[in-house]
Amino acid sequence: MSFALLAPVGLAALAACALPILIHLVRRLQLERTEFAALRWIGADSPPRRRIRFERPWLLLVRLLLLVALALLLARPVLEHIETTPVARAFVVPGVAPSMARAALDRPGLDLRWLAPSFPSIEQPLADTAVPLASLLREADASLPEGAVLRVVVPRTLAGLDGERPHFVHALDWRIVDGAAAAASAEPGTVRFAVRYADEEASALPYLRAAVAAWNAREPGRYVLDAAPAARGMPADARWLAWLAPSRPAEVDAWIERGGVALVTHDAQGEPLWRDDAGDVLARSRPLGAGRVVAVPDVLSPARMPIVLDAGFATQLRDALRGAAVAPDRADAAAYEPVAVPGAAQADVSAPAGARRSLDAGIALLVAFLFLVERVLATHVPREVAP
Amino acid sequence: MTTPVLVPADVRARLRELRLALRSHAGGDGLGQHSSRSRGAGLEFAQYRAYEPGDEPRRIDWKLYARSDRFFVREAERDSPLTAWIIVDASASMRQADRAQPGRSKLDAAKTLAACVIELALRQGDRFGLVVLGGDAPRVVPAGGGARQRDRCVLELVQCRPAGAWPGEASARTLWERVAPSSLVVLLSDFFDEAAVVLAERLASARREVASIQLIGADERDFPFEGGHRFVDPESPAERRVEAGRARADFLARFAAARAELARRLTARGIRHAEYVLDEPADLPLRRLFGARASDPVGEAT
Repeated sequence: MSFALLAPVGLAALAACALPILIHLVRRLQLERTEFAALRWIGADSPPRRRIRFERPWLLLVRLLLLVALALLLARPVLEHIETTPVARAFVVPGVAPSMARAALDRPGLDLRWLAPSFPSIEQPLADTAVPLASLLREADASLPEGAVLRVVVPRTLAGLDGERPHFVHALDWRIVDGAAAAASAEPGTVRFAVRYADEEASALPYLRAAVAAWNAREPGRYVLDAAPAARGMPADARWLAWLAPSRPAEVDAWIERGGVALVTHDAQGEPLWRDDAGDVLARSRPLGAGRVVAVPDVLSPARMPIVLDAGFATQLRDALRGAAVAPDRADAAAYEPVAVPGAAQADVSAPAGARRSLDAGIALLVAFLFLVERVLATHVPREVAP
Repeated sequence: MTTPVLVPADVRARLRELRLALRSHAGGDGLGQHSSRSRGAGLEFAQYRAYEPGDEPRRIDWKLYARSDRFFVREAERDSPLTAWIIVDASASMRQADRAQPGRSKLDAAKTLAACVIELALRQGDRFGLVVLGGDAPRVVPAGGGARQRDRCVLELVQCRPAGAWPGEASARTLWERVAPSSLVVLLSDFFDEAAVVLAERLASARREVASIQLIGADERDFPFEGGHRFVDPESPAERRVEAGRARADFLARFAAARAELARRLTARGIRHAEYVLDEPADLPLRRLFGARASDPVGEAT
């Protein structure tokens, strides 16, 4: 546990301590005026001494304490519980076999931890091997005591990274072994696209078929179209659905809320997704439960929606159904080796380590108490001084 | 109207042992209060009054009868053998009071002393007058006798406030017109002004019997101040800034020397001189001046 100031600049307020000192000093220098008729017999050879003496020293002391407490309050003091790690730690990125990690480090006394949330021991198997690696690396860096070495065993391929290459306070020991980190969640290979249509909207089918054919042209066999009249009901294993009917039964909504993605007609709610050249909204998108709805306000026909004739329709439809693409988070371990910036990074990277307790409330109470005492002392004039 | 009690009861009780006396007659015959010069038809004219049967014919003013064809009798006041003049210094320096007793200034003490002298004179049947110097012009209560004269003087005393400086030569001239030779002059002052000393010396030289009381504050006697002080003169813009603790010994020595010099000067002129420190009982200086031992001319030199 240690005492720290979050805003040491606040201590500049200590300069205000000069004020009460000056007040108590200046008053002292004033001479007491006395009417004295026998003036001429007073010798002029003993001028008043300018000695430094403080008037009412207790009041001065309380005032100084009050100002110091206020300055301390401005400096935002905290008590930090820094976890001291008696045993040197090493972090192993999931994806590396524990035996390989031990071999790579080659030091028997090390405390090996998975680089996973709450840093579990390497003896325990990990439930989820997909971890936000960059964030955990920074946390591991911040949790180490000063002067320690950040030892990390990484597989050849890293996942769960973000756009920023980490900067570390501690010296870095970056060991690369064979292996690959688990990717976040790969999409399953085959996507079933179910289309259910009412008879009057069956004219939209050719455009959807054409779109699926276009998708399959790039990724052969991945997209399976399952077109049927609306009366056939919901398919069991479909991931995407196009519901082309004026009305939507509750079971379709329930299917969407379980996590499905559906293109529906005769619906005009949600955020704008597509616009035509004039800027008018052609389709909207909105979440529904765990799933998502791509809503088209009218029927999906070239007369109402010329976009279906557009060359880019297939891509646009696929992007709309697939949702936002996942940002790339994989990198080669050797290329990703973080930069250690001791000292320079201290100011902005000095992340709080363990639990940190603010002392503001206690000091505010102290300030209030001191202010009360100061007022009592200041207003209490000693009897003999009172006129 | 209630006037403040000028003479405390215990002081009044102790005044019984004192009596005002001219030094030249002191120790004289014990028959009367003072040796009288003449009796009967007085020297000092008071008034005319119409003749009444029984009046002595020789007291009729025959010259006036010749002018007015009526009998008038010249009446003169009975000559008092002793006239006591009390001169009170009411200049601004008399405003000073001790820190121990801020309510009682030197002038208050002088008023008490003056009232004591008035009481003494009244008890002896002497005539007395009052002169208050200070402020714009000297205020004079002409000499007279009796309880009403006492009240007039006391009223004048109660009303007087310390202000201004010691009056110049011109206004002191009224003193010479009023204060007849061979009268007793009691001068109550702090004698910080050279003019006051000069006045006492002149009065003494001109055959007035002068008794002077110098009023000294306890602060002036002890100089109990500590720390830096700015001493200001109540009568002039002069001021001294000193460290009081270090200036004390020097001041006490110089002030004592000045007092001794004053006493020496006054005694050399035949003036009875006494000092009165404000925290002493008021009858003490009077006892020094008019007590039994004071009949010895060199008895109370200080």
